[in-house]
Order: sequence, then structure tokens, then C-alpha cells
Amino acid sequence: MRLRRIGRIARWEVTKGAGTLDRKTVFALVVLALLVGVVGVSAFDDGGGLEDGIYVVGVDAESAEGDPYRQVVAASPEFRLEETTITAFRLGESDADVFVGGPRLLESDGSTKGDAAYAAFRDAIERYNYESMLAEPDEAAAFPVTVSVQYQERAPASADGSGSGDASSGGFDGSGAEGGAGSGGAPDGASSGSGEGGGLGIPDVGGGLGERIEAGTPSALSPPFPFGPLILAFLFVVPMNFVIQAYGSTILDERIKRRGELLLVSPASRYEIVAGKTLPYLLGLVAIVVVLAVALEGGVLSVLGALPIALVFLAATFVGAMLARSFKELTFVTVAISVFMTTYTFVPAIFTEVTAIALISPLTIVVMDLQGESVTLGQYLFSTGPFYLVAAVLFLLGIGLYREEDMFAQKAIPAKVVDALVSRLHGYRSVPLLSILFVPFVFVGQLLAVALLFPAPEALALPLLLVFAAAIEELAKSIHVYAGIARSRFDASLRTALVLGVLSGGGFFVGEKLTHAVQFVGLPDLPAGQVVFGQALTSDPLLVLALFLVPLVVHATTATISAIGASYGRTQYAAAFVLATLLHAGYNLGVILLVV
Amino acid sequence: MIEVSNLRKEYGGFVAVEDSTFSVARGEVFGVVGPNGAGKTTTLKTLAGLIEPTAGTATVAGLPAGDPETAAILGFLPEESPLYEEMTATAYLEFFADLYDVPRAVARERIAETLDRLDLEHRERRIGNMSKGMKRKVAIARALVNDPEVLIFDEPASGLDPLTTNYIVEFTRELSEAGKTVVFSAHNLFHVESICDRVIIMADGNIVARGSLEEIREAHGGTTYHVYATVETAVGVAVRENGHVRHTVSDMDAVDDVRRRVETEGGRVVDIQTHTPSLEEIFLDVARREEAR
Repeated sequence: MRLRRIGRIARWEVTKGAGTLDRKTVFALVVLALLVGVVGVSAFDDGGGLEDGIYVVGVDAESAEGDPYRQVVAASPEFRLEETTITAFRLGESDADVFVGGPRLLESDGSTKGDAAYAAFRDAIERYNYESMLAEPDEAAAFPVTVSVQYQERAPASADGSGSGDASSGGFDGSGAEGGAGSGGAPDGASSGSGEGGGLGIPDVGGGLGERIEAGTPSALSPPFPFGPLILAFLFVVPMNFVIQAYGSTILDERIKRRGELLLVSPASRYEIVAGKTLPYLLGLVAIVVVLAVALEGGVLSVLGALPIALVFLAATFVGAMLARSFKELTFVTVAISVFMTTYTFVPAIFTEVTAIALISPLTIVVMDLQGESVTLGQYLFSTGPFYLVAAVLFLLGIGLYREEDMFAQKAIPAKVVDALVSRLHGYRSVPLLSILFVPFVFVGQLLAVALLFPAPEALALPLLLVFAAAIEELAKSIHVYAGIARSRFDASLRTALVLGVLSGGGFFVGEKLTHAVQFVGLPDLPAGQVVFGQALTSDPLLVLALFLVPLVVHATTATISAIGASYGRTQYAAAFVLATLLHAGYNLGVILLVV
Repeated sequence: MIEVSNLRKEYGGFVAVEDSTFSVARGEVFGVVGPNGAGKTTTLKTLAGLIEPTAGTATVAGLPAGDPETAAILGFLPEESPLYEEMTATAYLEFFADLYDVPRAVARERIAETLDRLDLEHRERRIGNMSKGMKRKVAIARALVNDPEVLIFDEPASGLDPLTTNYIVEFTRELSEAGKTVVFSAHNLFHVESICDRVIIMADGNIVARGSLEEIREAHGGTTYHVYATVETAVGVAVRENGHVRHTVSDMDAVDDVRRRVETEGGRVVDIQTHTPSLEEIFLDVARREEAR
């Protein structure tokens, strides 16, 4: 690949339509972007100020300046003070919605707004009191009762539905607010974070790791839920959903209008064309991520955590745009990608402080970085490695379709998928290689299954995982073999099917060993993880070797069954695939029974 | 310059081109004609490296079609002109010149020269705002931006008015005179006949006729003689036309035979004409025969 040519295509991708915007439109877009940015930051920083001065609080004109109610009004931006008298208030000669006077007089004017002002003012008084207590130098006097709270790691639900936690198994200590960036939680449990250093503060509901001593009321206690950092980390994913719309459109546009044909006859390779067309969108996303990281006081780790997500967003969109036959289909594809990717990255990150499963999402790395936590290289690789690999494989498969016959023809999607796979088959050696390349997909699929099923009772989760884990592995071992036979890359003889099955199973076995990366984060400690990833059964070297090789035999056998089915046709392949899956699931069950 | 050997292309179960073999010499203008679905475009796209053959080989200047080095010496003009309509003609051509690694100064000079020859005005106008003929000229200029040795023109005048069509045909002739090898496909067989040195006629994925126009005519009957008489004889093929009987025969001996018989039967010969079949007539004849099979 020639970088100069990629750069030229990338520059063209950016500038080809630039001239269609006149100066007024550009100016309007810049103003709009600035407006959205300013309003967004302002709203995030102080709630937007939309409620400032919304309620008018009448205070007795003769009350002293030091009257605590006046202080409450001054401390709460939603209130505006008006000096009046109770008589004037009751006669409706005042603008006040509520009137306060003396220690027990808080009165609404009877209107709906007045009642709302009444409730809001009561909350404001409580908040004011709480903050006054926090400011009290003698903490013991303000909060005479001390409660120790220890959070424990959630144990997965057992078969009978009961869960148990073991305090000694490394639960999370600490409660309420994290130290550092923000202040304590408010009585109502809402965030009241106010960042340091002039940047956007990270609201601190939920606790970080380690033990802290916090003052507060019981209602201020909250589980270790990184709400603030999570929301901020989510901001990294939001722009990706928009950028893929433009990226998918430009790829499909080349196909629908057949404009890509002339690029294909040029000396530029399809790798260079795709790289050049993708680069501006990737760089754009990286720029957005960097700006967000700086604005949110994140570090390089935030960028490195978001980068693989951006890559998978783009790679999945690229493949989707290569498969879609119309902009209507593309819309469906991009929405599906948005929903799946956002769910896959966001939901696990919710459990950042709870379980290692959270690390299946690179967004967890961003959350950890925003919380100021350190991340080990193993954690980073575990979290992002599958994403990088999945993105690479998706791009490779998509590039396999970046040719005249698939770009401009109205082929059925399954036929295109088969074409994409066949484009990577160059003889027998490609078969084990593709099996290896599919391991990240298997890994991601199995991790997702573990994440989705770990809260479920084991009686339900384990059988489902057994079958799913087997099915996804069998698919990864057989789909390219089927494609190769279907497109006559390999002859449909029994001998060839045997060779292909053994090669595919062997390749997958090698790739599967890469999943031992999960050992870095202890995922196999979970029962659900054991089903999928297994665990050591013995320390006897010979037995260890035998057990090491048994999966090889299983993989080769089941892959051969599918390959033989594929050599007879599509229906036979489907039947053989089911048989292989059941055999594989039976093997998995045997392993589990040995472990238990 | 171009060698195609046992070329076969299948799409699923459909055979688009079946065992096609031909060669094109350097500097030759080579025509590919045939009805819709005959396999012309598939053949041309295979030469351009867009389509991978199912079997057989296609080489250009000794290099496999589709090789980046082949692409560098090749100019391809597809039947439709899928241009980037938001770009100006100049920007569009400069972009493609960059892709072909043409030095910027050389590219500018070449683009200006080509557009002058094509008589294209409004070069800074966005392509989307150009007429169909102007767009076609931009597409032709793009195919020439790398000063290719081989040009593959698929229906270059498709859908254009007669004036622009003649302009493009003449331009193709100029390219040929400048030493370019041109593979040319067109529905308008008059144009093919007027500029092509050799031709293949394709039908249902097969080459059904090949050679120079003279050779093809020879193979399909060559020159015939039309003897118009007042009475019908048993010689040749007799057809009534404009009140006379037209006898079509293949040589002068047959003409003499017709004349003698007409006189014997008391009639007289009104006119004798030689007839050279056009490529279109041969093409229609071939197409009919293929359809009958």
C-alpha cells in the first residue's frame, strides 16, 4: 500500500463535496456548532440555568439580613427574593409564589406554581441545612452516628436463585462520593459534583475503590456506581453514531452510482481505496475523542479506550454498506450497528466497579481513566484486543467485497457473505488462517453471552451458554469451509472435506489458545466463564498434555462433520452443523461435570 | 498487445462469456460487437481488470489484466459515465491523474490539451451542471489522463446526439492514428465499420465471427450480385422487388447463367448491381442464425 495514494484519496474524500457548500452555509454551520457546544457545556456545567429565578419567595421586609431563609434563597438559583408582608401576600398584592416568615411559616399562594415553589423551597431548606452541617468544623457534633459500609462483589445467582457474597473475596470498600474531583452526594442522592481545576467536573455518585470516610446521612449512601464517569464516557460513543451515517453513505454512494468502478480500474488497490476513504472518518473521530478527553480531564487512556470502539463502528459500517443494496437497507444496518455497539460498550461499563466482566467493553477503560484509576496492560489488551481484531477482520472481509462483481450487482446478502469469505480463501492454508481470524468474533460473542447471562440462574444460563458457545465456535470453523466448497474453491469430495475439517479445527485450536488472555482478569473464576473458557483440572503434566490436546481432537472432529455436510450442499451443511454443535456442547458439558 | 485465451466467465450458473480467444495487435482498433447480453461488456471489463475470469487468461502488454502495472497503461471508458458530479471537471481529472502518479505539472498540461482537443468549455463548472455530451467528454478525458497505451471504450457514444457521436468517433480515430491500441464496442455498427481494423461478433457469450471486415464478409457470403429481370428463373435466390424479379447470385458465372435463362424465357435483364453487405447486415444475419439455434 502506498501512503501517498491513500492520503490523496483521503484528501479527495474530504474535499470532493466541499465546494458545494457556500460561505453562508459554512458560516451558519460553524455558528450552529459553536452554539450547540456552548449550550451543551453550559447545560452540563450548571444545568443550563433554565430554572433560575423561576420561583418568587416573599420574605418579611422587616426580617434581618441574616435571616436563614434569605440565605436559602440566596443559595438556590431557582428562587428570587421579594420583600413583602404576609398581608400583602395573602391579598395577592405581591408577586411571590410562597411566603416565609418566622420559624414555622411557609405558605403557598394556592396556585399550582405556588405549590411547586413550596415543595422546591422545602427541598432547598433541607439542602441548605445539610450543607451547613457539612461545613461544621466539629464533624462528630454534626453527624454523631458513624456507620461503616462495606460493598461486596456481587456473587452470581445460584441455581436456587439465592446469591451469596463473601466479604473476604475482595469486595469494594467505600461509600458515597469518591475523593478528589467532586464533593459529597446531596441528601436526595443526586449528584452535586463541582470539579476542580476549571474543567468540567466529574459528578461523583458512587464510590471508587479503596476505603474512605465520608460524612452524610443514610440517604446519601449509594452503591459503587460510576454514574458520572459513565455518562461522560458515553459522550465518546455518541459522535460515532453520527459519523458512521456519513461513512456508510459515502461507501454505498460509490456502489449505487457505480462511481467506484473508475477507482477500481486505476492503479490504486482496493486496500488503498478503502483506507483512503476511511481515514478521514477515523481521523475525525479521533479528533473528537481527543477534544472530549481534554474537556473531560481524561488522559491518553481515554483516547486509547475509545479508538478501538471507533474502529469497530467504522468496520461494521463498512461491511454493512458493502452488503446493503439500498440506502433504506443501509439505514437499517447503521441503526442496528448503533444499537448493538452502544449496548455492547455501554452496558458492561456500568459494572466497572462490580465485576471483571465490565472489561469486555473498552468503554470501561475510559470510565476507569475518567475516575483516575490505573489500568494494567493486561486489562487494556483484554478489553481492546478483540475490538482491534474484529475491526481488522471486518475490514478484510469488506474489502473482499470491494470489487466490481459484488459492489454493483444486486446479489442476495448471504451470497455476498459467501463471496466475502471466498475472497480470503487462497488454497488450503487459508482455511486454518481464517479459523484463527474468526476467534476474536467467537471471543466477543461468548463474552457477550457471559455478560448477558451471568445474572441469570445457573440452571438456565449454563445450558444456554453450553449450546451457544459450541454453536458460535462451530460456525467460525465451518462457514468459510462451506463458502469455499459452495464457490468451487475446493472440490466437494469426501477426502477434501476431511482435509478441510482437520485444517479448520486445527487452526481454530491454535486461535482458541489466544483466549487465554482472559486469565489476565480472572474471568474464568466465574461459573459462566468456566463454561466458556474452561479451567485447569489437574497438575499432572501428562494429563495436562492430554487435556490440552483433547480440544484439538474435538475441534477437528466437529469441523470435519460440518465440512462433510458442506460437501453435499447447503441443507446437509445445516444439518451437519447442528450435529457438530450438539457434539461440541456435549463435550463442554463433560468438561463442566469434571470441573464440578 | 492484448491476448485473450479461453476466457470464460460465469455468474452463478449463467455463462456470460464462453471460451473466448482473440488477440489485438499494437496500434490496432479492434471492434467488439454483438446484441445485448452477448458478453461484450464482460469481455471488456475483464480486460480492464474489473472482472476476474472464471477460467482462461487475459493479458495486456504481457501483464495479467487487473495487475496495477496493467492499470497504469490502460484507459477504460465504461458504457455509463459515473462521474463525481460535485467536483469540477478540472479537479476531477487532476484527482485521477494523481491516482495514476502523473506529475502535477504534466497532468495539468495534459488535461488542458485533452480538453482542448475535445473542445470542452466550462472546465471549472461542476460536472453535475454539465450536459450529457460534456460529461462524456470529461469521462473520455479521464480515460486519457495517464496517456495510456491501450484504450478500452465500451459504447463511447451511447445515448449521445449525432454531432457529439461523430466527434467522439473521429477523436477515437485520431487516438488510433497516434499509435494507441483501441478496443471499441458500439451498438452503432456503422461507427465500428468506419474505424475498426478488425472485429469480433459475439452472441450468447461466444465469438461467432472474427477478422477484418473483408474476411468477415467473405465468411458470410462476401460480395453478391443482384440481377434484376422481367421474368423469374431458377438460378440463385429470386425475390420480387419494385415490379421486377431480383436474382441474388454469388459470382459472375451465375450472372451469365441468369442472363441466358432470362433471354431463353423471353424476358430481359433490367439491371445488374454488385452488393457488399454492411457489418450491420452480417450482424443481423448472425444474430438471426444464433437465435434460430
